Amino acid sequence: MRIRRTLLAVPAAAALLLATPTAALADESVHVKLLELNNSGASGNATLTATSGGDLRISIRSTGLVPNSPHAQHLHGSTTGMDFHCPDMSADTNGNGYVSTEEGMPAYGDIFVSLTTKGDTSKASGLAVDRMPTADPEGNLRYDRTIAGADLPPGTIEHLKDLHIVEHGVDANDNDKYDLAGLGESTLAKSAGLSGIPEEATDPALCGMVSGAAAGSVPVGGVATGDGSTRDEATVWYGAGGLALLAALGIVVVTRRRSYVLNRVQR
Amino acid sequence: MTRSRKVALVAAAVLAIAGAIAIVVGRHDEPVAEPPRTAPPGPPFSAPATRSGTDVLTTGRLLPTSEPTRVRIPALHVDEAVIGLGQNPDGSMQVPTDAHTVGWYTKAPTPGSLGPAVLAGHVNYRGADGTFARLAMLRPGDRIMVARQDGVTATFAVNRLDRYPKDQFPADAVYGAIDHAGLRLITCGGDFDDRSGHYLDNIVAYASLVTADR
Ligand SMILES: [Cu+2]
Repeated sequence: MRIRRTLLAVPAAAALLLATPTAALADESVHVKLLELNNSGASGNATLTATSGGDLRISIRSTGLVPNSPHAQHLHGSTTGMDFHCPDMSADTNGNGYVSTEEGMPAYGDIFVSLTTKGDTSKASGLAVDRMPTADPEGNLRYDRTIAGADLPPGTIEHLKDLHIVEHGVDANDNDKYDLAGLGESTLAKSAGLSGIPEEATDPALCGMVSGAAAGSVPVGGVATGDGSTRDEATVWYGAGGLALLAALGIVVVTRRRSYVLNRVQR
Repeated sequence: MTRSRKVALVAAAVLAIAGAIAIVVGRHDEPVAEPPRTAPPGPPFSAPATRSGTDVLTTGRLLPTSEPTRVRIPALHVDEAVIGLGQNPDGSMQVPTDAHTVGWYTKAPTPGSLGPAVLAGHVNYRGADGTFARLAMLRPGDRIMVARQDGVTATFAVNRLDRYPKDQFPADAVYGAIDHAGLRLITCGGDFDDRSGHYLDNIVAYASLVTADR
């Protein structure tokens, strides 16, 4: 057995050099739980999947959002290793009862990627509501998009678990739409040069926290980790051992018998 | 005692000793007792927490992403290099091309970071016992050390061992989302199918991260 192992080791090492697969990045799928902010009553789940090509596949399913309305959504945070998290109501520094997008930024960081339905995904598209997904009449929102690696800020994939998905849009006065009567004009939109946008449209409704991770691509079936080539070895050894013992016994019996016969003849 | 008788008795003694050794070797090569086949698992993991605020939804320590370089399992006297494994054209997982090397499935998280890291090794291959030949002997609490490219060694503790028919391989349990840094060691087991040249079952050891040292 030992000899066989040693003999096999050389070609095996050579094969290894040829067969070593190269792993650019680990494909993995980060699972995110979307938790309500500002008592929005909304909830959701998202997955961020890093593909082997370096792209990012995003899937979001949320419910309880303002119906028939666009919801601005972003990945917030940075790749500098800052420990961002989701804010609680203590982040409401102006005390109007709502954590605004700006008030939340110390907790979840600045806009890192804009999760638009098409086109640009940079921070510049943060309030591009015409390219943001719209909730259906029941307040359900579905979003699926793959953003090419080249369009992602450097380090996005490596820091996937450090980023926070935030979905914006609340309904403070409970009339199923964004209006100035709810919370007035959006200070965020105004600072971006857009006037007349309701604060309701930009206040966050959901903030995502990483809840788990999975394989990015699941292999088919089981794993072929064995060819059975040593499974009968025990039987072979037992067989050989048994035969050897039988032969030994046979020799002893024959020898003793012969000497007994010889002794009688000699006598 | 005659000379021929002496020779015969010496031969008998040699044969007896050789036979005894063969039986001892055979005992050593006896297949390892395997866990019973595990019933198909229940619904996949879902995060239990629903409250807002700054609470984390994951459990235990988590390391940043870094690829594995070596695996050590003291209970099995295993200390082997780790290579990357992708998928075959038919979508199945690649396996190492020798009995010793352990493969890390590159389309899943790295060992020590959040999620299930997957290592596969042969039970036997081309006439040699594989590194995972005795995987089924692992017991809950046994340690598995994975050295990583960033110089950190992630130490995992075995949670449980399961055996599944390959045609009912539980993808969710092995590759699905988990809320901690986990590790799965996969090898073959169960009956051997001579016609296909494959074992019918896979043995999977589940472990979770306990410590990390530099
Ligand atoms: Cu945002």
